[in-house]
Amino acid sequence: MNVIRFIRLHVNSWSIMSIIFTLLILSPALSIFFQIFEKPNENWAHIQEFLLKNYIQNTLMIVFFTGLFSILIGVSLAWFVTAYRFPLRRFFKWGLILPLAIPPYIGAYTYHGIVNYTGVLQSTLRNEFNITANPAYFDIMNIPGAIFIFTIFLYPYVYIITRAYLEQQSASLIENARLLGSGPLELFFRVIMPISRTAIIGGASLVILEVLNDYGVVSYFGIQVITTAIFQAWFGMSDVASAIKLAGMLMAIVFLILFLEKVLRGRKQYSYSNAKVRPLEPISLSREKTILLFGYVMFIFTAGFLIPFVQLFQWMMMTYEKVVSPDFLQLIFNSVYVSLISAFIIMIIALVIGNFIRLSDSPWSKAVSRVTVLGYSIPGAVIAIGVLTFFLWLDRHLNTVYTALGIDAPIILSLGLGMLIFAYVSRFLAIGFNPVDAGFDKIGRSFTEASRLLGTSLMRTFFKVDLPMIRGAVFGGFTLVFIEVMKELPLTLLLQPFNFYTLSTKAFQYANDEAVHEAALASMLIILISGLSIFVFHAVLEKEKK
Amino acid sequence: MIMQLHDVTFSYRNTKEKTIQHLSMEMEKGEILTILGQSGSGKSTVLRLIAGLEVPEAGMITINGSTMFDQKTFVQPENRGVGMVFQDYALFPHMTVAGNIKFGLKKMKRAEHDERLASVIELVGLKGFEKRYPHELSGGQQQRVALARAMAPNPSIILFDEPFSNLDADLQIKIRDELRTILKKAGITSIFVTHDQADARAIADRVILMENGHILKTGTPDLILC
Ligand SMILES: Nc1ncnc2c1ncn2[C@@H]1O[C@H](COP(=O)(O)OP(=O)(O)O)[C@@H](O)[C@H]1O
Ligand SMILES: [Mg+2]
Repeated sequence: MNVIRFIRLHVNSWSIMSIIFTLLILSPALSIFFQIFEKPNENWAHIQEFLLKNYIQNTLMIVFFTGLFSILIGVSLAWFVTAYRFPLRRFFKWGLILPLAIPPYIGAYTYHGIVNYTGVLQSTLRNEFNITANPAYFDIMNIPGAIFIFTIFLYPYVYIITRAYLEQQSASLIENARLLGSGPLELFFRVIMPISRTAIIGGASLVILEVLNDYGVVSYFGIQVITTAIFQAWFGMSDVASAIKLAGMLMAIVFLILFLEKVLRGRKQYSYSNAKVRPLEPISLSREKTILLFGYVMFIFTAGFLIPFVQLFQWMMMTYEKVVSPDFLQLIFNSVYVSLISAFIIMIIALVIGNFIRLSDSPWSKAVSRVTVLGYSIPGAVIAIGVLTFFLWLDRHLNTVYTALGIDAPIILSLGLGMLIFAYVSRFLAIGFNPVDAGFDKIGRSFTEASRLLGTSLMRTFFKVDLPMIRGAVFGGFTLVFIEVMKELPLTLLLQPFNFYTLSTKAFQYANDEAVHEAALASMLIILISGLSIFVFHAVLEKEKK
Repeated sequence: MIMQLHDVTFSYRNTKEKTIQHLSMEMEKGEILTILGQSGSGKSTVLRLIAGLEVPEAGMITINGSTMFDQKTFVQPENRGVGMVFQDYALFPHMTVAGNIKFGLKKMKRAEHDERLASVIELVGLKGFEKRYPHELSGGQQQRVALARAMAPNPSIILFDEPFSNLDADLQIKIRDELRTILKKAGITSIFVTHDQADARAIADRVILMENGHILKTGTPDLILC
């Protein structure tokens, strides 16, 4: 193709900015990629020989069982809520999503606080019933305990997607199976599970990516996995090279999971058929079965939300007078401050890239959109290591510049808040981008074209026409990013500047310092804000889809 | 000659066959031209090329004596002085009727905006509807707003892509005749794209018959449509 023609067609301020943003977003991953093959040091030889196998085994074991149990719980709940009548069904339809509002690391120290020696469970047994049970029975700080925590707080991903899928299935499919004599169990395993396959895999891979991202639960429980190894290499031994290699390994596992998801899902995307099908009507069961069903649903809701929520509430009431202080207000301010800035930057980048992809037929636009959403799959610790090494590299090179210019008070980028925010942007861009992309998709191109034919430039059109038309999506994306940043733990722990804490890192620090009760207020705030995120997601974005 | 396409060739990305092949046509000032052809024959694409929404691979386009496209030039759509009425009207939902119509008046002086608004509103018969939002109007009214919006900046030429396809049959005939009257009264050069022979007969001074991206024949409606 003629070069001048190509430039004229594809090079404008939007495409240039998009490419620059994309390269910036990619830089942490690239930074890791380029350094992963560097010559290993002694420490790495030690890790590789004695520890690595254990890290990988533990990681895969937790991933596998959490995935399995999340599928069983998520799909069964989705099916029960869709197909059967039972008391409070309408409430549970939404209520069963609520465990998602409790970040697993908060769930972990709350549950530990409940079942440990001084916790409400054992002390009640001791004081009221005079039973002193073997404390080993109550130890959840192990791999099964971690699997329990992850499952009970993350199953909603599977539940939400599967329920949405089942709701759109035609009633006749299920009725036919019933008429052909399938009992409920057979119906569930032979019909419901297979037809929901794509939805289940989609939900399960979200669960698994969250598990791989986690640092809080495993480190609190003292389980050795790849993420905790990254932290040890970095903080414990200042061994950058090994941290990079471990991060590369974790990234490889993530890509494997993403690849498996693609393969298992097959060519079928979620088929949201437009045909007017008769929706599935829930049916009534016998009294005994209804009680059983209700018991099961109630149990999951209680374990995943009610128990930790009530316990945190009680701890909060116990300690808030002590905890609330100027320092605590500073904490809130810090969290809000970094969240607002990150959300703001992310939405600007999302709008630029979204608009570029929409208006461009160029071969790069697909690649750009892939890269944009990639960050969210990459664990926070990996991004943090990538960003750190990238900034250290920048600092080294800037240092030469400073020396040459004779500046003696250089700005060291890798010590500042900018690095943390850069990492947030890289990790959470997808969350802001997806609603913007959907919004642009919905309005199409004809409004933009109409505006240009009325003599308005591309840039002016963006502000006068495109932006006002997708402001709902922009607002939704902004809120979701804001909340994700508020909750974030592993990346923040690695990159927060000296003496800078957020609500989540402070809560985690309290818990690690055996001050679980003091962590309650910060935890409660995070949970309330996360709950809001669920509301925004469903209220604003569902509306946007229609 | 107000507009000329000379030997224009174009294909969409990812398509092997040429969507438009060696197409040439010209128009006189004030003429109403209809492009008739089956779905997929490339009619909309011709309009998009004239408007500058797609870039030809080869050929030349001139409007009002200045070159819009050749090997060295490409004039952006906002600088072409071409108006367009879209199939789905594309009225900005966040602006009132008045806001939509005034949107293209940036080159006029502020003081003239209201005057121009009043005169096109009058022309399309929508007096009293200025403050409404597009979703508060009927299909026929929306179309007239789209026409008024396209006319307001005084373009050299207005393009209509299947303008009647969203209207029910009764309205279609009424609006068709009205539209011809309005366009003739204002002396506006225009191209209509349609796949309906009756439309073409009722509105056109001249008809171009298209097939597979090239012109089959051209002439007066009586000559072409028998
Ligand atoms: N954006 C596009 N990308 C690729 N092919 C397109 C695009 N728009 C139209 N086409 C193809 O170009 C041909 C002409 O389309 P079009 O000009 O819309 O025809 P008409 O308006 O006469 O129905 C058709 O074969 C159509 O499938
Ligand atoms: Mg068409």
